[in-house]
Amino acid sequence: MTMTGEPNAATDADPRPLDAEGKLTLTLNVNGRDQIVRARPHHTLLEVLRNEVGLTGPREGCGVGMCGACTVLVDGKPVSGCLLLAPLAEGHDLVTVEGLEGPNGELHPIQQAYVDHTAFQCSYCTPGFLLTTKALLEDNPDPSRDDAKHYLAGNLCRCGSYVKILDAVMDAKERVRED
Amino acid sequence: MTDNGHRGTIDPIRGGMMDSLERVTGRVSYTIDLQVPGMLHAKLLRSTMAHARIRAIDVSRARALPGVAAVLTGADLAARTDIQPWFGPVFRDQPILAIGKVRHVGEPVAAVAAVDLDVAQEAIDLIEVQYEELPAVFTLDEALADDAPLVHEEPPRVGQTFADLIIDTKSGTNVCNHFKLRKGNMEEGFGQADEVFEHVFTSPPAQHVPMETHACIADVRDGRVTVWVGAQIPFVVRSQLAEIFKLPQTRVRVIVPTLGGGYGAKCYPKIEPVTAVLSLAARRPVRLHLTREEEFVTITKHGVRIRMRTGVKRDGTITARQSECHFNTGAYGDIGPRLIKNGGYGTGGPHHIPNVAVDSYAVYSNIAPAGAFRGYGVSQAAWAYETQMDMIAEKLGLDPLDFRLRNLLTDGQRVMTGEDMFDAHFVELLERAATWIGWDGGDPVRNGSKVRAKGLSCIIKGTVTPSTSTASAKLNDDSSLDVLTSSVEMGQGMHASLALMASQRLGVPVGSVNVSLPDTDVTPYDQQTSSSRTTHAMGTAVMGAVDEIREQLVALAADELEIAAADLEMGQGAVRVKGSPDRSRTYGELVRASRSGNLLGSSTFRSEGGLDAETGLGIGSVHWHQAAGAAEVEVDLETGKVDLLRYHAGVYAGRIINPVQAELQTEGNVAFGLGQALFEEMIFDNGQLQNGNLGDYMIASIEDLPDDLNTDVLEHLEADEIHGIGETSLPPVMPAVGNAVYRATGVRIMDLPITPEKVLRGLRALADQEVSSR
Repeated sequence: MTMTGEPNAATDADPRPLDAEGKLTLTLNVNGRDQIVRARPHHTLLEVLRNEVGLTGPREGCGVGMCGACTVLVDGKPVSGCLLLAPLAEGHDLVTVEGLEGPNGELHPIQQAYVDHTAFQCSYCTPGFLLTTKALLEDNPDPSRDDAKHYLAGNLCRCGSYVKILDAVMDAKERVRED
Repeated sequence: MTDNGHRGTIDPIRGGMMDSLERVTGRVSYTIDLQVPGMLHAKLLRSTMAHARIRAIDVSRARALPGVAAVLTGADLAARTDIQPWFGPVFRDQPILAIGKVRHVGEPVAAVAAVDLDVAQEAIDLIEVQYEELPAVFTLDEALADDAPLVHEEPPRVGQTFADLIIDTKSGTNVCNHFKLRKGNMEEGFGQADEVFEHVFTSPPAQHVPMETHACIADVRDGRVTVWVGAQIPFVVRSQLAEIFKLPQTRVRVIVPTLGGGYGAKCYPKIEPVTAVLSLAARRPVRLHLTREEEFVTITKHGVRIRMRTGVKRDGTITARQSECHFNTGAYGDIGPRLIKNGGYGTGGPHHIPNVAVDSYAVYSNIAPAGAFRGYGVSQAAWAYETQMDMIAEKLGLDPLDFRLRNLLTDGQRVMTGEDMFDAHFVELLERAATWIGWDGGDPVRNGSKVRAKGLSCIIKGTVTPSTSTASAKLNDDSSLDVLTSSVEMGQGMHASLALMASQRLGVPVGSVNVSLPDTDVTPYDQQTSSSRTTHAMGTAVMGAVDEIREQLVALAADELEIAAADLEMGQGAVRVKGSPDRSRTYGELVRASRSGNLLGSSTFRSEGGLDAETGLGIGSVHWHQAAGAAEVEVDLETGKVDLLRYHAGVYAGRIINPVQAELQTEGNVAFGLGQALFEEMIFDNGQLQNGNLGDYMIASIEDLPDDLNTDVLEHLEADEIHGIGETSLPPVMPAVGNAVYRATGVRIMDLPITPEKVLRGLRALADQEVSSR
């Protein structure tokens, strides 16, 4: 397969022509702002967020949707950015960890809970956990510890900071409620 | 109370991480986040053969592809006079790219640097390799057979390496190193025993799975090498790159951002050499970031087989232990030839045994290389001896706790490497573990198809000895302190721990202390960030550097205040006259008075020791790391599935520096260990890895962790000693779980991991025995 130059439709439903580098121009709504980026049709949302938008929060861990390090909230639902082709993310609200802070850089209550419990070690997985926690608390504002475990089981932390992560989630639930 | 320093949040009492804010905003910079102007992207072509001669490589189509800046093969490197193309921390046995033949599936054969990853991958796909397949060896039995094909025909070349390394290679075989230990008299020891037990225990190869795979950016231009890499041992990366490029070490700069996990995987050079030679060829900076599948074949935990004979008196006194350990080190030695020492003497265990003999071998084979892995050989050793301890106790009719307590080392007794044990807390650790789990030696509890039981274990682990760490510090004219260190932050919280130690020693707020990232152009030498050594070794060096500054402050204050130094005291950012606290100078005032700009201090930590090449005796460790575990499991008799319900992780810390990080590392060891106890195993079929991705290779998730997890980080301030705890509580997990599974089911698993299939097979064998005995 030639990856450059040859015209190639992004999807059957997307007949837009590719430019000389084999790229499409996409408009992605990332953290509330439209971003115009160029990407090849096979590029994933993760690649585009990192390489074109310049974000460092979404990170590749496994490339096959098993570890959650690349989690992005797509219309509020946690999605593996490594599995979603970037052209398919157009027209959706995309939220990364960079979108959690308030307008003046104040931490989201979930982030503050993770800080206060030191719910990380190497913290490579932390943005994914934060976003999945946000989705959990929107789905279920009052999860039990078991509910939280079940919801977060798709995010892996090899340092094994799970006890503190659960403590942070249960604390965050109270803070989000008060917020 | 939180001390909001300029880099984040450390609580002076609770501890924490220095750069918490960067870590929860996604801003903390790993190697993968760095951009260097003009940077190209690299991809590797990897061998599809386990053992084969390279007949020909055609790279012409790859070189012709627009956007490709460099294509390299091992033959290209071997033909250059400006490069020495072999590397490795002990033996220079690993080619940067395969030269002449490949030795494992996944070995890099060719490398491409191109304008983007798509072009690099397309070029890789255009390279054609002709192989001539050779007979290969994968298992220990195959590699050790008399007529085994040789993975390395030539004896490995030894380069500049560790001062204490014992090298005993067997040329003409696949054994690449042999460590032996001879303590006491084995004939007498076994002669005194009433019973001699002999068993074979195995541990499989496993994967570190750092969430951040290996990544490196190299810029090799104008006779200067710069690499940005998540490496645990920056100075070995520097010395090896200097050797490869035939440059003075001062022409090589290694910059280490924070790591997304290491666990031993990022010890010693891995992808730095290939990234650097690509940059040399392309005359541009080059970035290489491995995929998860590539990570799996880059470095692994050793698969190990241990044959263990233990002689015991009827009353439960151990008289002798003999171990034969074979570590499958894969296609290249990496640190395996050194690790067999720790794994080998480690089989002596935390027991007082007068007569010990160990033969430990590193064996080449045609699978992915094995190297340092959290626990460093001690996990495999502890799996053997702590499983056997329970087997012996049962045969002798002793309670496993009582049997252990009878034999655990106490102060003044000789450890396996011959030195006197001091600051021993094995008994205390194990008793606390037994108390917490509610050990009563009782019968398993059955509930329908599920049965619960408990298991215990206790381990000893050395830390690399002799070893060296140096640190320097700069006190600024506002009383803030910069600590310069080459210790690596990989999530263990080393920055915060060193900042806490420096702040307490100097008497300044922890928020005004900065700790550097390693940069070999700037920061002083450190031997390695591994072996659970940083808080002890680098911490001691940092405190020494602060002490040098304290001495200068006192001398300056004596001058300024016109009083004898003996009449001064210091703390809280100032030097004061004893009894007249209003007569004082702040540190900043004294720095200004010195007209030095800043006050500099530096210090070196050195531990002494090492083992004799013939006897394996000497000083094995500057002090001994100690841990105990207690597990309660529930086994489903219908499915064979084991659940870890409760776990107690006890570890001796001496003095705790950063309490929350100590807890985190200990909890992390339980998560790490339960994976290796229950499901982690790299499965090879004819050298081809069958489960090299996170879909097929499971690591512990948040649901696997026991609901009831107790971390017991034991502190004894009177010992005035800091013990590293990064790995120590890991090795007890596997045997504690295995011993609990046995007590629940009667099924004794001696080969990790304890999978449902093995448990069910064991249950069926027991049922068959029952039927046939009726």
